[in-house]
Amino acid sequence: MKKLAQEFLKGIIRENPTFVLVLGLCPTLAVSVSVINGIGMGIAATFVLLGSNIIIALIKNYIPQRIRIPCYIVVIATFVTIAEMTMKAFSPALDRALGIYVPLIVVNCVVLGRAEAYASKNSVANSFFDGLGMGIGFTLALILISALREFLGAGTLLGHPLIKGFEPAFVLGMPSGALLVIGLLLGFFNLLKKRKA
Amino acid sequence: MNKLIVSVSPHLHNKESISKIMWMVILSLIPAGAAGIYIFGIDALWVIILAVVSALATEALIQGFTKKKITIFNGSALLTGLLLGFNLPPKVPFWLPIVGSCFAIAIGKMIFGGLGQNIFNPALVGRVFLLASWPKYMTTFIQPMAAWGGYDAITYATPLALLKEGKLTEKIPYLDLFLGNRGGCIGEVCIVALLAGAIFLFIRGYLSWHIPITYILTTGIFTYVFGPKGLFTGDWLFHILSGGLILGAFFMATDYVTTPLTRKGQIIFGFGCGVLTAVIRLWGGYPEGVSYAILMMNAATPIIDRYTKTRIYGTR
Amino acid sequence: MNLAQFLTIFISAVFIYNVILSRFLGLCSFVAISKETKPALAMSMAVMFVTTMSSMITWFIYRFLLIPFDLTYLRTISFILVIATFVQFVEMVIRKISPPLYRSFGIYLPLITVNCAVLGVAVLNVDMFFVSSKAVAGSFYYSAFQGICVGLGYTLAMLLMSGIRERLDFCDVPKALKDFPLSFIIASIMSLAFMGFNGFRF
Repeated sequence: MKKLAQEFLKGIIRENPTFVLVLGLCPTLAVSVSVINGIGMGIAATFVLLGSNIIIALIKNYIPQRIRIPCYIVVIATFVTIAEMTMKAFSPALDRALGIYVPLIVVNCVVLGRAEAYASKNSVANSFFDGLGMGIGFTLALILISALREFLGAGTLLGHPLIKGFEPAFVLGMPSGALLVIGLLLGFFNLLKKRKA
Repeated sequence: MNKLIVSVSPHLHNKESISKIMWMVILSLIPAGAAGIYIFGIDALWVIILAVVSALATEALIQGFTKKKITIFNGSALLTGLLLGFNLPPKVPFWLPIVGSCFAIAIGKMIFGGLGQNIFNPALVGRVFLLASWPKYMTTFIQPMAAWGGYDAITYATPLALLKEGKLTEKIPYLDLFLGNRGGCIGEVCIVALLAGAIFLFIRGYLSWHIPITYILTTGIFTYVFGPKGLFTGDWLFHILSGGLILGAFFMATDYVTTPLTRKGQIIFGFGCGVLTAVIRLWGGYPEGVSYAILMMNAATPIIDRYTKTRIYGTR
Repeated sequence: MNLAQFLTIFISAVFIYNVILSRFLGLCSFVAISKETKPALAMSMAVMFVTTMSSMITWFIYRFLLIPFDLTYLRTISFILVIATFVQFVEMVIRKISPPLYRSFGIYLPLITVNCAVLGVAVLNVDMFFVSSKAVAGSFYYSAFQGICVGLGYTLAMLLMSGIRERLDFCDVPKALKDFPLSFIIASIMSLAFMGFNGFRF
């Protein structure tokens, strides 16, 4: 039981996919313009991660070594398509907001990375908790980045304006601002890591 | 990895000469600054002061925090603050030059390791950051010489903005453009003052002609060729005297640190800036392209240096 | 099919909506391989080849397979399979023709499969050049050309970044910012500079 809890927790801080493993940055930067979008993408990615981790852990002994990557991709793509269609049906606004980054979850390094590095070598139970931890870690990172970008770049949080008379810096809603925020956050977390060591 | 840098001259031999160059450039900018304050009033003076003080404070704070030597007296941060102030409209909220200067020094200069190591011109990094963040404040200009007429300055469009919106119905007299009787940023409008400063630097040997002349010539030719009424009908003199071209070409595109080392590289740099500026002015969404053009060419400078390296003596 | 459309695609894909600096596609490889110019250029050439060819192949699949059989929801799966197969094919060809080149690419050649730029441009083509399941006139040429231009935009960003990073090897960057953080901040400034092309109109 303790081992399962460990597998879950590592994805949140110690091996956070965004800030420590530096994976899956394409959607992170594109989508983190507002917290709602960040949460939406986080949930979609977590769903795919869970699904693919479980299935791949189940069938790992039946996949030939040479074509394992395309096999993983097919599994992942199936879950992405399910997520895509569900989103289109239940929340078309979110689907429009996330745009091409929903199908791009297929090539999200976090999902494929966990499949290759973990689910292909561990039990179903472990893979489930690994996927859950990574997914939640990814979502939390998304929320942090989009909260910063939404507040400083548009003056709102979850769509609600916060401080009266605050002049937001629009650049933070733009690609340049996204790159700046991720760069500074990575540097900040590096600093924390060094201080700890 | 081999850390010995073999590069072409000019080599700077001692720390003193860096200081001297900085202070000479600051001296040469005083006429343009004084002219800007004269034309736009006391607000302009405040913008410059805030920008300069913030730049000095930011550099001192960062160097203090990271336990490095405090070098704010070598003039470099002051120059950055001054140039940023020159690139701002005269009537902006007090916090704008402060935020801009902080960003320019912290992100434009210090994260690269400090003086001599930045890739991009810090003042322009600050300006473009401000433009993207608070476009409304950065594109609101006031009437020139209003205080002298005894009235409040009204909002006033720059010549290039009028051109971009197709509202340039009557020709603006070249003399107005030359003397600075037009809307614009504090340090960019008075061409005669800027040229005086540039000539001073050139005579003293602190400025070489390659980049500025290539830059201005390229922009002029390009805007002449691709004129509004067909080929070869462009008003090149208008383009050369408008916007931030003179300020940019002589004082920002010539920054030693962020431009190529060799003569050939410098000419390529000037040419690239000229083309990009003209293209943005003619077909882009923004009325002025000088800041973007110079920054893009700053990014290309390492590659330009790589491919225009002179032969090492004795090798093929 | 008109010239202005091609010009717009070129300016958009290379400058205004640069695949790396604006759409964030291909960031992983961008940050990983842009340390030196030679490998950066080699990777860019490979990516450009794959984006161009896969743009064309996925166009055919979408137009003649998915639309007629009403299977458009399968585009993600089919596109990525096509790309994975094609990259595998390219890998085999390079290995046969030039083993040294194959060895120099190393692990990065198969990684092109998961380069967001490749799948991204395929999906982009479909979104831009197919209106309500019908192909816009000339969409094949637009799609192929956009594939080339996305590759060019990738190459431009890689070239500039590798030059800058090689230069920075000689500077004393603060330790916490070394490598990834600084690369992103540089990309941020480059992205700011490229904004100069916004609103382009011929």
